[in-house]
Amino acid sequence: MSYYLGVDIGSVSSNFVLIDEFSNVLEKIYMRTEGNPVKAVKQGYKELMEKMKGNVNIKGVGTTGSGRHLADIILGADVVKNEITAHAVAASFFHPDARTIIEIGGQDSKMIILQDAIVSDFAMNTVCAAGTGSFLDQQASRLNILIQDFGPAALKSKQPVRIAGRCGVFAESDMIHKQQMGYPIEDILMGLCEALVRNYLNNVGKGKKIEAPVIFQGGVAANAGLKKAFEKILQMEIKVPPYHDVMGAVGAAILAREYIEEHGCASVFKGDAFITEGQFNSSSFECKGCPNMCEVVCIKRDKEALAYWGDRCKMWETSIGHKEVG
Amino acid sequence: MKKIGMPRGLFYYYYYPLYKTFFSDLGARVILSQKTNRITIDQGIDAAVDETCFPIKVYFGHVKELCQHDLDYLFVPRLVSIEPRSYICPKFMGVPDMLRASIDNLPPLIDITVDLSHSDRAFKDQLFKTGKLFTKKSSRIKASYEHGKQELAYCQAIAAQGYTMSEAIDIWQGEDIDQQLNGSLRIGVLGHGYSLYDEAISMNIISRLRQMGCTVVLPEALSIDEVEQEAAVMPKRIFWTLGRKMVGSALKMEKMADVDGIIYVACFGCGPDSFIGEIIERKVSDKAYMLIVIDEHTGEGGLVTRLEAFCDMLKRRRRHKIEDHISAYG
Repeated sequence: MSYYLGVDIGSVSSNFVLIDEFSNVLEKIYMRTEGNPVKAVKQGYKELMEKMKGNVNIKGVGTTGSGRHLADIILGADVVKNEITAHAVAASFFHPDARTIIEIGGQDSKMIILQDAIVSDFAMNTVCAAGTGSFLDQQASRLNILIQDFGPAALKSKQPVRIAGRCGVFAESDMIHKQQMGYPIEDILMGLCEALVRNYLNNVGKGKKIEAPVIFQGGVAANAGLKKAFEKILQMEIKVPPYHDVMGAVGAAILAREYIEEHGCASVFKGDAFITEGQFNSSSFECKGCPNMCEVVCIKRDKEALAYWGDRCKMWETSIGHKEVG
Repeated sequence: MKKIGMPRGLFYYYYYPLYKTFFSDLGARVILSQKTNRITIDQGIDAAVDETCFPIKVYFGHVKELCQHDLDYLFVPRLVSIEPRSYICPKFMGVPDMLRASIDNLPPLIDITVDLSHSDRAFKDQLFKTGKLFTKKSSRIKASYEHGKQELAYCQAIAAQGYTMSEAIDIWQGEDIDQQLNGSLRIGVLGHGYSLYDEAISMNIISRLRQMGCTVVLPEALSIDEVEQEAAVMPKRIFWTLGRKMVGSALKMEKMADVDGIIYVACFGCGPDSFIGEIIERKVSDKAYMLIVIDEHTGEGGLVTRLEAFCDMLKRRRRHKIEDHISAYG
């Protein structure tokens, strides 16, 4: 069988999917990046292949997420796309009538407005990361709750407390205050969900017209508490698609399929042996070429340098004929 | 020959040809600091007070660099106003004082006040007094000033062809800059010149857009009269010179059929920008609009993602010829 591989290397999670010629999702892997994207790419690929029992012919590869260029080096990608476009493509595939996509990931949150399945507007959080997945993660671990239990616990709340959502630091001190006053933990959790929704709508949504159908995706969409908070505040039904946690990867795979079909070319996929057998390492050094002292990253497979980046003058980046990052 | 240092920051991008010509004609040697690099930034952040904006911190870094030269003077004009009834951000007024307070062993500062809010007489008086440091002949000072103004106008004319002020200054100084000025998408890029045209501060946003196949339309390429006319639609006149120019430019670009989208580059710590970015967002309803906030961070990933997504959106939109435009920001 022929498949297309989509990979989304995010700050918190790394996701892998395989789709067929009709963009049906056959297999998915959702795993934590754990600060090591190189390892995540390799391991995720291996796990995916094990699940498919090796019976796979990859016709195209798409990568997305903040680690998309890294994934491209290791896997060999036909399409390297930013996550906004990838998410929009995936959402409009599953819900062609979707008008608004709420996407909350590990380090950023976005709102994408679609019109006739085309992005007509988007917004991304600016300098503040309050209300994103990593903040929820942090709060859950502070309260000693598994992130998986966060949503169900919040749903038990009958009277959510008011938490300031404007800033992550304030939200945390508010939560600690309420917790020390003796409010039940589920009310604090639900209060946090509502605070994050308000923050999202003020910060990212900034007066944008939110029209139904609204799709909620990204890792945070798994949190039923947030879904409920969105529904309560927006007074609308919020749909969480079945592959909500790997939508970026699905989008990347669809884009790869479109690209290969449109161009009728062979994939630049590097193949099983290249990925699984080599030792991939990344290292960084300070370039001494000029006073900019750029921190240059080098990705190596065994002893062979595959790519450099991070230098402003592109001296290193172009030194091994790698295609431009950007 | 007397050596006079000029930091490559803040209003360098708007006035350097004037001052460079003025002092050179008077027989001084002008020493310009290097293009902003990591050392500039590190030293600037170290030296400047925390509450100032990033471009001012970078300016401090340039001053630090110049301190290592054996200078007779350091030229750091105190900018108050560069045109009638309009002002520059108040932080600029305090720059010479902040420098004196935070950097030891400064060369003697020439911190003439540039205040044209009422007339240009006071400014000219001060500039001519400065000229006396180099020559006794008033006629020579006057001629140098007039020559400086001509050179500035010439440099502005270069920028009007689609170059950034930084490139225009390089061309003015005789450098060859080969710039492809015809990409498929045309994107209006706005922002304070001292952050936008400093490649380190703006994280190369203009070159990045050009590499993505965009032609960048800058405020310097628009006619000043038209910009002022557009800015006049505001119910209250905006008294920040640059802010008014940005609002006027954005509204003008909105009406230009060949501009696909508008990007505003704001600094995180900038007071006026927090208003202006918002005003533009509310006023520009017919074109895609994106606000990009920059600060000291060096992580370029977020910037690249936003630029790519913005370009993708404009391309896809164009392909599908959506009639119905809605504004965008990020």
